[in-house]
Amino acid sequence: MTATSGPATGAPVDRVDGRLKVAGAAPYPSDVRYPDMAHAAFVRSTIAAGRILAIEVTAAEAVGGVQAIITHDNAPRLGRAAASVLGPPPPAPLQDDRILHNGQYVAVVVADTPQQAAEAARRVVVTYDRAEAALDLDDPRGESVANPFGWDAARGDVEAGLADADVVHEAVYTTADNTNNPLGLFTTVAAWQGDGLVLHDASQWTSNVRTTVAAAFGLPEPSVRVHAPYVGGGFGAGLRAWPHVVLAALAARVVRRPVKVTLTRPEMFTGVGHRPSTVQRLRVGAKRDGELVAIEHEALQSVAMEDDNLEPVSGVAADGYACANLSARDIQRRLNIPCPGSMRAPGHAQGSFALESALDELAYELRIDPLELRLRNYAETHPQLGLPWSSKALRECCAVGAERFGWTARDPRVASMTDGRWQVGYGLAGVSYPWWQVRCRVRVTIGADGTADVRSAATDIGTGTYTVMQQLAAELLGLELSQVRVGLGDSDMPWSPAAGGSGLTGALGNAVHLACKAVVERLGELGRRTGESYADVLARRGLTELSTDAESTPPDPQVLGMAPSGAFAAKFVEVHVDRDLGVIRIARIVSVVDGGRILNEKLARSQIVGGTIGGIGQAIFEETITDAETGRIANATFGDYLIPVNADVPDIEVTFVGGPDRMTPTGTKGIGEIGLAGIAPAVANAVFHATGRRIRSLPITIDRLLQP
Amino acid sequence: MRPFEYTSASDTAAAVEIVTGDPDAAYLAGGTTQVDLMLKDGVVEPRRLVDITRLPLRGIARIGDALHVGALTTMEELAADATVAERLPCVREALLHGASVQLRNMATIGGNVLQRTRCRYFRDPAVAACNKRAPGSGCAAIHGAARMHAILGASEHCIALHASDLCVALVALDAIVHVQGRDGERTVPLTELYVLPGDRPDVENVLVHGELITAIEVPLLPAGARSGYVKIRDRASYEFALVSVAAALVVEDGVIVQARVGLGGVGTIPWRARAAEQVLIGGRPGRALFAAAANAAIIDPYTVEGTRFKVTLAERAIVRALEDLVA
Amino acid sequence: MSACSVTLRVNGSSARLEIDSRVTLLDALRDHLGLTGTKKGCDQGACGACTVLLDGRRVLSCLTLAAQSDGREVTTIEGLSGEDGELHPMQAAFVRHDGFQCGYCTPGQIMSAVALLEEGRAGSDEEIKEFMSGNLCRCGAYPNIRAAIRDVAQRPAT
Repeated sequence: MTATSGPATGAPVDRVDGRLKVAGAAPYPSDVRYPDMAHAAFVRSTIAAGRILAIEVTAAEAVGGVQAIITHDNAPRLGRAAASVLGPPPPAPLQDDRILHNGQYVAVVVADTPQQAAEAARRVVVTYDRAEAALDLDDPRGESVANPFGWDAARGDVEAGLADADVVHEAVYTTADNTNNPLGLFTTVAAWQGDGLVLHDASQWTSNVRTTVAAAFGLPEPSVRVHAPYVGGGFGAGLRAWPHVVLAALAARVVRRPVKVTLTRPEMFTGVGHRPSTVQRLRVGAKRDGELVAIEHEALQSVAMEDDNLEPVSGVAADGYACANLSARDIQRRLNIPCPGSMRAPGHAQGSFALESALDELAYELRIDPLELRLRNYAETHPQLGLPWSSKALRECCAVGAERFGWTARDPRVASMTDGRWQVGYGLAGVSYPWWQVRCRVRVTIGADGTADVRSAATDIGTGTYTVMQQLAAELLGLELSQVRVGLGDSDMPWSPAAGGSGLTGALGNAVHLACKAVVERLGELGRRTGESYADVLARRGLTELSTDAESTPPDPQVLGMAPSGAFAAKFVEVHVDRDLGVIRIARIVSVVDGGRILNEKLARSQIVGGTIGGIGQAIFEETITDAETGRIANATFGDYLIPVNADVPDIEVTFVGGPDRMTPTGTKGIGEIGLAGIAPAVANAVFHATGRRIRSLPITIDRLLQP
Repeated sequence: MRPFEYTSASDTAAAVEIVTGDPDAAYLAGGTTQVDLMLKDGVVEPRRLVDITRLPLRGIARIGDALHVGALTTMEELAADATVAERLPCVREALLHGASVQLRNMATIGGNVLQRTRCRYFRDPAVAACNKRAPGSGCAAIHGAARMHAILGASEHCIALHASDLCVALVALDAIVHVQGRDGERTVPLTELYVLPGDRPDVENVLVHGELITAIEVPLLPAGARSGYVKIRDRASYEFALVSVAAALVVEDGVIVQARVGLGGVGTIPWRARAAEQVLIGGRPGRALFAAAANAAIIDPYTVEGTRFKVTLAERAIVRALEDLVA
Repeated sequence: MSACSVTLRVNGSSARLEIDSRVTLLDALRDHLGLTGTKKGCDQGACGACTVLLDGRRVLSCLTLAAQSDGREVTTIEGLSGEDGELHPMQAAFVRHDGFQCGYCTPGQIMSAVALLEEGRAGSDEEIKEFMSGNLCRCGAYPNIRAAIRDVAQRPAT
C-alpha cells in the first residue's frame, strides 16, 4: 500500500464494534423489545395488476390475539415527502384499491404475538379484479421513459466514428434481476411517545427515514427519531424508507402499542428493492491498432409502474475510456413489478458487464490482448468533463494486477488451457467507478475528561464507519483511539447522507475533518498550551465540554478545475469449467484497487473481498425469477435464490495502489462498491477464454453453458 | 400456521395409535420438512403433532449382509458410520452432499425418505394451481420457473421433484423400509414405496395414514464393489441437485457383473435407472459402454423449457459417475 | 389447546416457559428468554444465522420447535464467552481476522465454527469451506472466516 497514513489511520486495527458483534450483543433493530409490544404481519397481493374487490377479515379477526386489521378501507390518508437526492420516496401504502405489483401490501394484521399475526394474515381473504400485467422488458404496454435521470451522455459523432472504424463490434447483453438479500430480515419497531414517534429500523439512512415518515403522518421532523445503531446488511436495500416502515408506524398508532414488524425472507424479495434486469445494446468501433473511435451504449431497464429508481447503467461507457465519439443512453420501462432499488454498484454492475464484455470481444476481433486494449484507450483526463482527474492510478492497477495474477502466462487462444477435466480461462475487466458525495454533518465534542465524542446520524452497515471515523478523529485530535467514541445510527444526531453510493466515508470523513480542525482551533483560542491536555484546558476555563458541528459539502469540479475521481480497479479472474458438465468454479481472483487514502487496510480489504463475492453471485448464481402473468417472484427463498456459500469462494487477493485523492482534505475515495464492479464481466471473459462460449446473459449457469 | 397440539411420544405403538386414529395428526421427527411446511409455508396444517424424536428408533446395526438403520438416526450419524464408509461409499457421499451439517444433525433417515418436494409452486399457498396440494387445480410449475423440477415420472399434472440425495443411493441399493402400523409391522422395498404422480400427485407413497417408518434396511454391496455419488449443482455446496447419480459396479475379470444406477434431480421419485444397469451388465467398462448406458437411462422424459437441459446433463453425469468408479 | 409447557436449559440455566406450541426454539430464545444473539436470517432453514448447539451438536433453531428442545442442553452465542466476559477463542479470532462486516450472520457462523472444530473438520481449507457452507454471509466474509477458523484450529489446545 502506498497511500500515506497518519499515526492512527491506515493501521489495520480491529473493528471497534467487533467485540459486540461476536458476542451477539450488538443491538440490531430486530433485537429491540418494548413491554406490551404487538407484532404485525402483512397480507400481500397475489396478482400483479388490477383492483381489490373485497377484503374478508372475519376469519382473521377470529384468531386469538388479533388487535387490528388495517386495509385501504380503513387506513388514513398519508403524505409523501419531497424527493431526496435519490428521488421521491415510495408512494404511501394502503391508499386505494389499485394493485400495481404482486407482493404489494394489501393489509396489515396486528396481534399480540408474531405467531398470531402470521396466522391471521393467512386467514385474510382478498378478492381481486385482475387486469393484464406488463411484466416483460419488451412489453410495449409498459411506458418507456427516455433519459430518466437526465444523465445521458453524448460527445462527438457516433455514426461518423463507426463509419471510420476498421472493426465494429455490436451485441446485446442482458442481466437478470438480482435481489439484495442482506442476511438481516428488515425489521421496524415503532413506538409512539405522545405526539412523537420512535423507530428502530434496519436503515442505511436514518435521516431519510425520518423525513419520509414525518411527511407520511404530517409530523414535524424533529418529533420522529430513528435508531439504526447496527444493521444486518443492506447493500442498498436500506436506502429508502419502504412501505413496511410507514406501516409499522401506522399499526402502532392504530393499536396504541409499540409494534414490531419483521419481513419474511419472501417479503424481502418484493418489499425492499432489487437490482433491475437490463437489456443493453452495444456498438463499439475501433481502429485496427485498438484505438476506440465510437461507443454507443443503450441500456433498457425495468422500473415500477408508479415508483422510481435511480439506476444509471450506460454511464460506465461515458467515463471509462478515452473515445471521441460516444452516446450513452438509459431507458426505463414501467412494469407491474416491485420497485427496483439500489443494489451494490447500482447501474454500474449491469453496465460494466456489457461494456467490459464488449471490449473483450473487440480485443479478440482485433487480436489485441484485452489488457492492452484497455491501456491503449486509457482516459488521461475525464472523458466527459475534459478535466484532469483528482487522482487516478488505474494504470498501476493494471500493471500490478497483471504481475500478481500472472496475466502473461495466459495463452491467448480460447479453450487452450486445461487442468484435467477442467477448462481453464483467464479474464479481466477494468473499472472506473463514479464519484458520489452528498453534504454531511457531524458533531465533535470534547468532554471534561478530555475524551471525544463524534456523533452523526450516519449508519455503519458493516462497512466499518465506526472504526475508521474513530481512527480519523483520533488522528486529527491527537488522541488515542480509546479516547474517541463514535456514535452513529440516530437521526437526532447531525444530518447525514446514506451509507451508500460509496459516498459516506468521504462525506462524513470530510465533516469529521472540519469539525476536528475547528475543535483544535477553538482549544487554541482558549489558550491551550503546548502539551496541555484537553481536560486541563476545559477545567482551566471552567468548561464541562466543547462541542462543534461541521458540515462537509461536495466540491465543485469546475471551481477546483479537477474531475472528481471515484475509485479505480483492475480485476483478474481465473475460472474452471467442467468440459462435460458445464460446472463453473471460480479458482482465483486478483483485485487491485486505487481507493485513494485507505483509512484502515484490514477493513478496506474486507470491503473489497465482500464486494467481489457479491460479484461472483451476480456472475454465476443470482437471478430473481418472475412468473409470467401473475408477476409472482418464483424463487423468493434462500433455498431457491442462490447466493455464494463458503465453498464457492476462493481466497481473494486484494492490493491497494495509488495515494490520497487531491480533492478533499481526507483524501479518501469510496470503496464500498468497487469490489463488486467488474467481477461479472471478468468472469464472463474468463469463461469465454476457457470454453470459447461467449455468454452475453447473466447469470452464467450450467444450463446456459450446455445450450448448443 | 394454525395452532396445533404438541405431544411427545415415548412409546412407538402409542404414537402410531394416536396418529392412526386422528386424520388431523402428523408425526414430527427432525422437523426440517414438517416445521418448514407447517409454520413457514403454511402448506400443511395438522391439528396435532406427535413428536417421535424420543422414541427408541435410533441407531445402526449390522445384521448379516445388511445395515439396519433406525428411522430416527440422523443423516450425520449415518454418514459417520464405519460400515457405511467402508461398504456403502455412495450412501456416505450422498449424505454428505445433502443440505448442511446443521440440517443433517436434525434430519432423520425416515424423514429423509418421506421428505416433501421443494417445488415453490407446491410450497406457496398463494399459487392456486398445484395438483399435489389441491388435486385437480392444475400445475403452475410447468409454465413457471422449472429449473429444479423433474423430467422422469413427470407429466402435465405434476413435475415436482423428489430432491433427496440419500434416497437416490438407497433406491439403487434396493433398500427396504420397515413400517409399523396399528395392525402390525410390514416391509416395503423402497423402490415400491413411492407412487408416481400420474393424475394424483397428492398421493406420494403407499403408506396409509398413521403408518410409521421404524427402520431402513440397506443391503451391503459385495466386497470389492465400487460405488459413488456424483452431484451436479450450481453452487459448490449446500444446494439441491440439478442432476445426481448414485452408481455401483462389481467388475470381475474385466466384465461388469453387477450394476446399480440411481438418479436424482430428475425424477418425481428417487429414480432407479434399471435400463442403464441392463446395458452395463456383461459389458466391459469404458466410455462407449457408459455412454450407451446413459443413453438408455433417460426414457421418455417430460421436459418443459426450464428442464430441457437436464436430459443432456443427466446423461453426461451418468458417464462421469461411472468413469469415476473405474478411474 | 395449543399451549405447552417447556423447560429450556440454555447456557447452563434452566427456564420454564408456557408457550404457544408454534414457537420455535429461535423465537423462544429471542422473544421469551431475551437471548437475541441468535439471529433470524430466513426462518426457513436455509441460511444458518440461527445456528445453536443442541446437546452439543449444531442445529438450526428456526426449524426446531421449542417444545422439542424440552430438557435438552442448548448453547447459544451468549454461552460461549466466559463469566468475566472473556471471549471464546473463536470469537476472538473472528475479531482478529475481521470475519464479519455487518455482524448479523456472525453468531451463527461462530457457533458453527465451534462445532466444526469439535467435529474434527477444520483440517484443511477444503474441509472448512465445505462444512461451513451451511452458514450464508452476504457481506462476503468467507475468506476471513476461514482464516479465523484456521487460526483457532492450529493453536495447541489449552
